[in-house]
Amino acid sequence: MSTFLQACVNGLLMGGFYSLMGMGQNVIFGVMKIVNFCHGEMLMVGMYLTYFLCTTFGLDPYLCVPLVAIIMFFLGAVIQHTLITPSLGTKSFTNLLFLTVGLGLLLSNGALVLFGSEYRTIPTSYSQVYINLGPVTLALPRLISFGVLIVVSIALFAFLKYSTIGKQIRAVSQNPVGAEVVGINTKRIYILTYGLGTALAGIAGALLTGFYTIFPTAGASFGFRALIVVVVGGLGSIPGAFFAGIFLGLLETMVALFISPSYSDLIVFVTFIVILVVRQLIIIRRK
Amino acid sequence: MKKLISILSIIAVLATLVVGLAVADEAPIKIGTIYAMSGGNAAIGENILRGIDFAVAEINAKGGVNGRMLEVVRGDHAGDPAQGKSEAERLITQEHVDVMMGCHMSTVTEVVAQVCTQYGVPMITAISTLDRLSDPDHEAMDYFFRLCPLNSVYVEDMLKYLKDTATQTGEEVKTIAIFTDRAAIGQELIRCVDLFKDKYGFELVATVDYSSNATDLSAQVLALKKANPDAVLCDSYIGDATLFVQTLKAQNYTPKLIVAKANGFTDPAFISNLGNLANGVASVVEFNPDLINGKEINEEFKAQYGVNMNGHSAESYTVVWIFKTAIEAAGSTDGAAVRDAIAKLDIQGEFPGGRKIILPYDRIHFENYDLAGVQHYRDNTSASVAIAQVQDGEWKTVWPFDFTDTKVLYPAPLQ
Repeated sequence: MSTFLQACVNGLLMGGFYSLMGMGQNVIFGVMKIVNFCHGEMLMVGMYLTYFLCTTFGLDPYLCVPLVAIIMFFLGAVIQHTLITPSLGTKSFTNLLFLTVGLGLLLSNGALVLFGSEYRTIPTSYSQVYINLGPVTLALPRLISFGVLIVVSIALFAFLKYSTIGKQIRAVSQNPVGAEVVGINTKRIYILTYGLGTALAGIAGALLTGFYTIFPTAGASFGFRALIVVVVGGLGSIPGAFFAGIFLGLLETMVALFISPSYSDLIVFVTFIVILVVRQLIIIRRK
Repeated sequence: MKKLISILSIIAVLATLVVGLAVADEAPIKIGTIYAMSGGNAAIGENILRGIDFAVAEINAKGGVNGRMLEVVRGDHAGDPAQGKSEAERLITQEHVDVMMGCHMSTVTEVVAQVCTQYGVPMITAISTLDRLSDPDHEAMDYFFRLCPLNSVYVEDMLKYLKDTATQTGEEVKTIAIFTDRAAIGQELIRCVDLFKDKYGFELVATVDYSSNATDLSAQVLALKKANPDAVLCDSYIGDATLFVQTLKAQNYTPKLIVAKANGFTDPAFISNLGNLANGVASVVEFNPDLINGKEINEEFKAQYGVNMNGHSAESYTVVWIFKTAIEAAGSTDGAAVRDAIAKLDIQGEFPGGRKIILPYDRIHFENYDLAGVQHYRDNTSASVAIAQVQDGEWKTVWPFDFTDTKVLYPAPLQ
């Protein structure tokens, strides 16, 4: 029983990251209908940015989170304005696919050149603090990260639902032509959205540094899971991505607990394919 | 007059020959080396070559081998077997090396050893651990010898260590678990544990694996916790090794003994990333500066190169001494004679005119033998690794017990 509880907590804590990654991916997909294949690399950039801020200015990794979010937002905005917006005009999916995949390769290899292949960590005074809650043990950095994740998620929901820009983003996502007709500057929204998505990946990266190692290809596994989250939660759906992320985290740990850790990846990917196929069948039947 | 001229010319020819022979006699003995000096593995090559240069300088300072100096002729395989082959041919046919050392990657070693056998040039590998280099498929490579332990011997030594810990800890290890990467390194660990576990009477209670650069290892750690083995054997790359130890702590589980098969666990970043958490983790090492016979040489080595001698430098250093001893025993540099001398060599404790064996074993002797049911050829059967444990943030040798004064830290504190 205690193992089960511990596994639940582990799944929840990890699932939070998958949620955040998935939501970032989905914000971008919802508005521009493009899959951002360099989303994982953006997380990695966020990690290195945090590392840089911590080692250069002696900041605490969690204090870096807002800074990283702002810097990543501008990075995303610049990428959108200079690279993606021009490609959107071509209406070519392959063009955008190669653009984001290429950008991801550029970023991870750039990190390799700049920082080398060493695996780094950011040690803090509390990185080895563990909290015992009955049968469950929690690492303090993971707990703080999860708390921040939840706050960020709620803020994101509220922003999209109530703020003017949030409403504009949703409008563009529902009907870009209609949005433009009522006077929304879609290009500006594109820039804001990509910036927002990148900032979310950056936040996830910054929060990970509390307990994960930083290396140039650190984003790959998270980027890939973000794709699963997006597909399971529904393309473009922010709440869907949130719950799918938590579901993925729990699924991984439960499979590992009840079947075998060796099969956890396998079963996650099989579930992913099954959901894809079933959804496709439902859509066909509805038609 | 004609007679005089012919006599004179005969004398002249003889004189040239004699002079020529004398010069040839003083020409250096050439050791060919084939390691990566460019590409991603260049750093490894550098450590190996330091060990070789150190031994050569030491031997030359004492008057060389049979009155001749040693000279190192370097080849660069850049991690590519095809390039290794062409470098081997160049060193043999153009540079006329007498003996060969190499390589860092076993796949390159295999190709180079075939070339050496074809040309009759004796070759010793200091560090290629792949089992199959000496298996029955390679029986015909009879100019090729291996100093270092085989991959499976690494794992057998890990199990021997676990068995031996009982004399210091008072608690016998009965159950073991494997925690490892799903990639090739993990498969190799699983295969080798399976080969030897019964011999040492261990019960394997769990095999837990994951894919490289895992996002999370808590499920794996929980599986280990559930199986609750007396000792955990692991092999991981550095990112996963770091995450593993952190996760052990986060899941409130401390196995009493953790032994790793080097890789990420002996990466310099392992201790610097984990700090105190690393205390108690043990790993296989080929050499450690605190080994009883290694302290002295490590100080001299460090004074010269500014870094500690590592396993690769220590093993390469030893191979140069093996060549020296064999060439002296053979009395010439003739390939077949040197090969036979290496095959007959039996170095006990120390090299004639040299140091004690600086590695964690006290005999060097190449033999054909049976390892877990498979015949192997021309391996140094006394070769063994040492086990080092992180104690106070440093790697301290704890096994074999005869080669160290440090005791095993038990149970592993991980703090």
